[in-house]
Amino acid sequence: MSVLLDEAQLQIADEAQRLVSAHYSGERLKGYLLERGAFDRELWERFGAQGWTAICYPEAFGGLDLGLLELGLVAEACGGAVTGVAALTSSFAMGQSLLYFGSEEQKADWLPQLAAGSVIGVVAFAEGQDMLPRAPRLRLEAGRLSGSKPAVVAGGIADGAVVLALGADGPVLALVDLSQRGVSRTLLDTFDNSRCTADLVFDDVEAHELPGSIDALAAARAILRLQAVIIGFEQVGGAQKMLTTARDYALTRRAFGQPIGAFQSVKHRIAEDYVLVELARANAIHAASRSGESDFGLYAAAARISATEAYDGVSRDAVQVHGGIGVTWEADLHLHQRRARTLAVEAGPLIFWEDEVITELQGAAQ
Amino acid sequence: MTDLTAYRSAARAWIEGKIAEFGREARRGLTPAEDLALGRRYLAAKYEAGYSGISWPRENGGQGLSPTEKLAFDREEILHGFPTEYFSISLGMPVPIMLRYLPDGWKQERAIAALRGDEIWCQLFSEPAAGSDLAALRTRAVQDPDNGDWILNGQKLWTSWAHLADYGVIVARSDPNVAKHRGLTYFWVDMKAPGVTVRPVTLAAGDAHVNEVYFDDVRIPDAQRLGPVGGGFGVAMETLIIERYSATDPAANGPSIARALADATRMTRDGRPLIEDGRVRERIARNFATQAALASIHRRALLSLEAGTQPGSEGAIHKLVSVRNRQRLSEFMIDIEGVSGVRWNEQATRKDDWATSWLTAPTGRIAGGADEMLLNTIAERILGLPQDHRPDKGVPFNEIPG
Repeated sequence: MSVLLDEAQLQIADEAQRLVSAHYSGERLKGYLLERGAFDRELWERFGAQGWTAICYPEAFGGLDLGLLELGLVAEACGGAVTGVAALTSSFAMGQSLLYFGSEEQKADWLPQLAAGSVIGVVAFAEGQDMLPRAPRLRLEAGRLSGSKPAVVAGGIADGAVVLALGADGPVLALVDLSQRGVSRTLLDTFDNSRCTADLVFDDVEAHELPGSIDALAAARAILRLQAVIIGFEQVGGAQKMLTTARDYALTRRAFGQPIGAFQSVKHRIAEDYVLVELARANAIHAASRSGESDFGLYAAAARISATEAYDGVSRDAVQVHGGIGVTWEADLHLHQRRARTLAVEAGPLIFWEDEVITELQGAAQ
Repeated sequence: MTDLTAYRSAARAWIEGKIAEFGREARRGLTPAEDLALGRRYLAAKYEAGYSGISWPRENGGQGLSPTEKLAFDREEILHGFPTEYFSISLGMPVPIMLRYLPDGWKQERAIAALRGDEIWCQLFSEPAAGSDLAALRTRAVQDPDNGDWILNGQKLWTSWAHLADYGVIVARSDPNVAKHRGLTYFWVDMKAPGVTVRPVTLAAGDAHVNEVYFDDVRIPDAQRLGPVGGGFGVAMETLIIERYSATDPAANGPSIARALADATRMTRDGRPLIEDGRVRERIARNFATQAALASIHRRALLSLEAGTQPGSEGAIHKLVSVRNRQRLSEFMIDIEGVSGVRWNEQATRKDDWATSWLTAPTGRIAGGADEMLLNTIAERILGLPQDHRPDKGVPFNEIPG
């Protein structure tokens, strides 16, 4: 059943919108674009103080024991302000990996810190074009990790990781402390440097299997789905912001004697964008409400598809509506253009999630 | 169990008991007359069971419940392809609007006859030169100064089920000397009255449920007027929003995603099922994502209604997106069928056949609010963008260049 937001959820959304937009500065965000490895640490600390890093953990680990929807609402606010804090969703993914599949000791070691935001976590599953490689090149042998993971989001700033590696009997999920000797990271130049994306290289580094992840590919897939829904909300937030920006500009910019928003070529474009945003929002909310159900994978995939279509589409159109000013460094639109593509790729490209939809539909049809 | 849940399960049980007699399969192969007769029998059964006029007041033959119960029933009913289409406009707009404006007595007799499927009302709005721009209509209503009767002359077009209708509601121009919206008046008419001629218009797919209707000196008493002289446009708008929200099908009454998946699994290319082709997977997956979103929007709108708030843009989004989605998927499914994709089955319905769905889809993007009008509605009402430039604004109707 889809949900209407209740009072508490509306309050979280309002609070997140307020804090994040008060913190927004296009200039500062552009600074992160120019400098590899820099991110908005001040805002990240506020996330921790606000309890947002603790949303999806049980109270026993210092969490707030709330759901995907609550964290999604925070992510939506972050998306609107293109915040330079990739750690919200990367830490979430690592924490959920441990929560679902980790040992009691692994949970005790990491979850309270992840919930407090005092450490940053990442997951590293993908290799090459495979989101979930069946035979990862990264190897785990006798508790030692060797090899590399490419383009890990927040990899440049993370303290710990859950990686998909090839063990003695097939793929495994393993926990690794990134502060160890033998871990090296190469920050990548990307079109959104605020993500602190880095290649991680492991040279005979201690790592521990997550005992609950007997079927590591299924476990990694479950984590990707959770992360996809949260990132879906972030995309919705970005798309909504671009929609509002395009609408506001179309009301004030005049040409040929009237606001450009009076021309159907412009107003219909913006109306179509509104529809994209509403579809994506509906799918994100629905997916969040299906967490734990057998059709969660199907709706998480649908949410990702709609969210990517919306953020890419609306940010593209918003630039077009602005005309020349829209393509300048000065205007903040390229921040969203960059983030839209970044989020689209990071959490699995469209072709991955399209396959997920088909596989889940086939499963449901049998 | 809440009252609504109980209501819904009782409704479902009743509906499921009617599938064998009235469902999609039962209708297959019937002549139009037999199908209409089946529809009338279904409505009578529905009336006896207390599922007619669910949200209408009891004094008008209804059940006195809220739109929530009506939607709960409709959502179940829509699944089975019952023969309700002949009556959906009649009960959706003309009958409720006449119930608001006419005095007690006769109107209740008509309402009950309509609910039982014995009588059908049609809605005579569109004309050859007035579609999206309804207020541009030209059918004239001239009042006879001697007795106050009105004489109707003109032509209506796209009138659904007019050939079956006993009565209709009509908007006509009573004063061409004022701005176009101000010179209209609203009436009900007897479709069997002298001077009324109904001619079917066959649509592109071969179906003939719409008509052109001619009025030649049709005389109606002033008592058949609904609302004030010159107030017809307002009554027309009121008619169109009576049903604030209705049950919807994310597949826009076309074949389902499950059907697309099954077909793409059955069909092969180079010996491999088409569903293994990335292009096929992409189309079906994206179409599914959009339908899932529409279903979610719909469920949230229902919850909003239950919580007592009015739905906003949900109806416009649904109509705009679902039919286009159906059109594209149907086109694609014909495509992947290959050379056999051109086959045409006269008996098929848009719900069970891609070609029929495809050929009838354009109607869905025009009737009841064209895509362009829906985009205007979203842009203007929701996003606050300016209204289109309208050169005829405020100009007396008879001075607008033709």
